[in-house]
Amino acid sequence: MLINFLSYGFVQKGLLAGSLVAAACAVLGVFLVLKRLSLIGDGMSHICLTGVAVALLTSTNPVYMSVPVVMLSSLGIMKLTQKFRVNADAAIGIVSAAGLSVGLLITALAGGFNTDLLSFLFGSILTVSWAEAALCGLLLFVILILLRAFYRDLTSACFDEPFAKTRGVAVQAVHTVLVLITSVAIVLAFKVVGIFLISALLIIPPVAALLVSRTFKQVLWKSVAFSVLSVWLGVFVSFVYDIPSGAAIILMNLFFLACSFVWMKLGNSHDR
Amino acid sequence: MSSVLKVENLSFAYARVPVLENVSFEVQSGDYVGIIGPNGGGKTTLLKLVLGLEKGNGKISLFGTELSQFRQWHKVGYLAQKSPVAQTLFPISAQEVVLMGLTDRHGSGVGVRELKQVCEAMMQTNTREYAGTIFHDLSIGQQQRVLLARALVSRPQVLILDEPSTALDASSREMFFKLLSELNQKHGVTILLITHDTGEVGKHISKFMYIDKRLVFFGTKEEFCHSPEVAKQLGAFAQHTIDHLHNRHGHCPLGDSCEECSHAH
Repeated sequence: MLINFLSYGFVQKGLLAGSLVAAACAVLGVFLVLKRLSLIGDGMSHICLTGVAVALLTSTNPVYMSVPVVMLSSLGIMKLTQKFRVNADAAIGIVSAAGLSVGLLITALAGGFNTDLLSFLFGSILTVSWAEAALCGLLLFVILILLRAFYRDLTSACFDEPFAKTRGVAVQAVHTVLVLITSVAIVLAFKVVGIFLISALLIIPPVAALLVSRTFKQVLWKSVAFSVLSVWLGVFVSFVYDIPSGAAIILMNLFFLACSFVWMKLGNSHDR
Repeated sequence: MSSVLKVENLSFAYARVPVLENVSFEVQSGDYVGIIGPNGGGKTTLLKLVLGLEKGNGKISLFGTELSQFRQWHKVGYLAQKSPVAQTLFPISAQEVVLMGLTDRHGSGVGVRELKQVCEAMMQTNTREYAGTIFHDLSIGQQQRVLLARALVSRPQVLILDEPSTALDASSREMFFKLLSELNQKHGVTILLITHDTGEVGKHISKFMYIDKRLVFFGTKEEFCHSPEVAKQLGAFAQHTIDHLHNRHGHCPLGDSCEECSHAH
């Protein structure tokens, strides 16, 4: 059955794109969780709805339309927190609500929900194109290059932001780049798991990895491993039992999180 | 002696509430400055402004370079009052925390020279034995010593410390102040230290700065202790500090140089 499953071109494309975007989200998610910004993924995913709705209304590509919309919104969240001293969670909530309401308004003006919009809400990994798979590859490549070049700046800024500033780390620039790349990752990920579940790709694998790791590098590779394995297992399970692939992927991620809790409780990880 | 830090007409306000007003002073190389003053007097804000963590009105120069142009951060060591409020799940070893104190950060690898510096700083602060331990698994006092090693690892010429000894036990505190004194006297490291522990620290400090929104006093320890004008101007807090410095139950921290004590004897 497995060979049969892997022989389909659309499955191969879906698994490739899914693995690449899952790995990208897993790496970014580690920094977002540690900087207590993990809910930014949830907020941005709601803003995706505006981009998708505009794209469906104007018959343009939803991915290309959503990227600038989500990037601008993420910068809006940053401005709210920095200029107006609004707490990050409140700023995410405000921008997220704005994104959802504008998206729903445009959808209503366009004549209501259709099957295309529903596929973006709940994900359709098996409809990913080669171009979108290539974009996911490019995104992961850029993230890995930046991670290699600025590894110490990133870890330092996550661990102790004021001290990092006194070491000459451009904390503001690190923060902006992290948020903008996350915007792109979220847009590319909505085809894989759907708008409603994107934030899970950014939160669950890093948290599972943090529970069972003793070094920061372990966290990164374990987060990627959990996330990519979840995509493969989730797509396979959805193929076999004919269930939504997005939900199956997230349930697999939750399975790894549950295993991490058990592992930690059994005392295999360091005491916290 | 060269100028390490020069502050001119510095003012700062949080939401229009003034915290610092028109503060000007100059710290010379080799000075050991104890910064004292009441809570909310602007001591921590002053250090944050000096480090560029907050932006105020006025001019700040570090080693003769205006703060906005200053890039030689390896010359500055900083230790905050509290441990970083990072995620408690952050799996980072004490050694990796110390490594963060280095300013040459390109790539993810660690060179032999960097490891040597980390090792030296950890030896100085007696934290070598925790090198491989996860930072958040250490006690608060141990964490503070690791953070001191992080402040020292770049071999700074000036150390800026914000109430660093609050979480330390008596023996660690003694070791801590002995180390600071050694760094100041043997290696010429300039120290700016916010403290309420004037009795202990007073033995080592060469100058006092009293901040209460404005710069009330900046001068030598002797001037601070023996000037009746200072006591009159500063009121109960200053008298409390002077009493600490002249601890009646112990020896005078000024030692043989204290004229007041020699007159009393």
